[in-house]
Amino acid sequence: MSRVELKQLRKSYGAVEVMKGIDLVVEPGEFCVFVGPSGCGKSTLLRMIAGLEEQTSGQIEIAGRDVSFDEPSKRGIAMVFQSYALYPHLSVRDNIGFGLSLARRPKAEIRQKVDAVGEILQLGPFMDRKPKALSGGQRQRVAIGRAIVRDPQVFLFDEPLSNLDAALRSQMRLELTELHARLGATMIYVTHDQVEAMTMADKIVVMNAGRIEQVGTPMELYQRPATPFVAGFIGSPRMNLFDGDVARRMGCDVYGIRPEHLLISESDGRWTGQVRHVERLGADTILHLDVPELGALVARTDGNCSFHPGQVVQASPQPDMEFFYAAPG
Amino acid sequence: MKRRQYVIGAVSFAVAFVIFVIPFIFVVINAMKSAAESARLDFRLPQKWQFWQNLTDVVQARDYMLLLAYFNSTVITVGAVTLLVIFGALVGYVLQRRPSRFSSFVYAFVLTGLMIPPAVVPTIWVLQEINLFKTLHGMILIQVAYGLGFTVLLYRAFIASIPRDLDEAAIVDGARPLQVFFRVILPLLEPVTVTVIVVQSIAIFNDFTHPLYYLPGRENVTVQLTLYNFQSQFVSQMNLLFMNILLVTIPPLIVFIFFNRQIVAGMTSGAVKG
Repeated sequence: MSRVELKQLRKSYGAVEVMKGIDLVVEPGEFCVFVGPSGCGKSTLLRMIAGLEEQTSGQIEIAGRDVSFDEPSKRGIAMVFQSYALYPHLSVRDNIGFGLSLARRPKAEIRQKVDAVGEILQLGPFMDRKPKALSGGQRQRVAIGRAIVRDPQVFLFDEPLSNLDAALRSQMRLELTELHARLGATMIYVTHDQVEAMTMADKIVVMNAGRIEQVGTPMELYQRPATPFVAGFIGSPRMNLFDGDVARRMGCDVYGIRPEHLLISESDGRWTGQVRHVERLGADTILHLDVPELGALVARTDGNCSFHPGQVVQASPQPDMEFFYAAPG
Repeated sequence: MKRRQYVIGAVSFAVAFVIFVIPFIFVVINAMKSAAESARLDFRLPQKWQFWQNLTDVVQARDYMLLLAYFNSTVITVGAVTLLVIFGALVGYVLQRRPSRFSSFVYAFVLTGLMIPPAVVPTIWVLQEINLFKTLHGMILIQVAYGLGFTVLLYRAFIASIPRDLDEAAIVDGARPLQVFFRVILPLLEPVTVTVIVVQSIAIFNDFTHPLYYLPGRENVTVQLTLYNFQSQFVSQMNLLFMNILLVTIPPLIVFIFFNRQIVAGMTSGAVKG
């Protein structure tokens, strides 16, 4: 359990600055998720914390110690890679124990620690198999086991679930959350999937173009997004955002309203529009509307509503659920 | 279409038969004949089969020179191939994983080694200057120099197909650069290493010209050079020459038959993914 602190962290490739001064504190035992679109620098930031990329300037502290120029293995971190990065020629047991055997620990100790990790992750029956004889979920567990056995101060995850199918992904989400509760370790997790971020995080760091847009708990980000970018990124379906003339009429530069905060009725409302498309998800229905006044508008209503394409409906924002932004971010 | 494939197959088979099998049959038949019969150089079966006698004659000729040649060739082949594997893999790894101005210069150097034909006389001067001329270890270094370009190329292409995440995972696990190479990368290079071992050992074992230039001296004879000696010594005894060819051909042939599949796998695996 350790605190991670980043101070004015910058990274340039030649003249291109990809990391524009990151200041961040991850509290001990926190599950912190970096989220953002591809290319926003979240993986680079994680790799800098791991020591796989060197920062151009700035400082990284783990557990109060400046590790900015330490070797990855000396930073007290363990990393789980997107591709799992299991050693194909080693058995599960040797994969998990690889770090310990490099550190020349006694065989009995390695065996005992590896078995304990195998127990936690329910890998018992597979300990002597090679990675290629495992399913995706099992490989993922081995990769996590390799991290746990190092007993790190901080766990780093680089999009660990993106190679799994949807069902397995939600199961692994749960397992990771439980693992976090059980180990109580500081974890930093990178993903581009805002659902993963919302469901797992204690703290979400939304990144965009090498900058931190906003830091907060999942509900803070949902309820009080600081910028239109965060507003559009957190929440699904994404928030309706309008700029230009539409926003100016509302007295701001960017106007936002979430689909679930629109009231749709057939009789009265602020805007009138035509239903273009209806997506039925069972519990909810997503309506795509053409509103002459605004443009395209997405709304979320009851699962068993009776709207149909072509129908003319009225939409109104719920009071206090509208967002007005001064300057576009 | 079926018919066309059949015809193409038959033609290829016939061509392969003429080029590869008929000469081999010719060698086998003539290796069994007496000196007088083999001098006619034809395909007639021997009237008197004298396999064993020809064999002992060849082995015993010139004070068991063939056995010395086998020994020398084996030393050169094993030594050169070992060095080729170690250096080829290490250089290929660094060239693939650490792109820089220096490594592209080295890579250009490697390609130059493939493109520019070696000059024999200056090489001999150099060997003489550093006292490696007429020595087995000098010959080993020559073979390494000739084979390294191709070997580095093969390894580099293969290593490109190994994800870099593996290196990084090992670094996070606390491996130092040499440990990353020897404990993670090298074990994964097995297919291409088999290819290198087979291809290079056959080439080096079968090499005739380079030992001829760089390794003169009776005590330095290699297997292919025994043919040369035989030809001058037993110019009228073609049966012994053919028996010698047979004995010299068999070891590489066996290697090739056993490892044929791995060679193709190793040659193509890097090429397709890299």
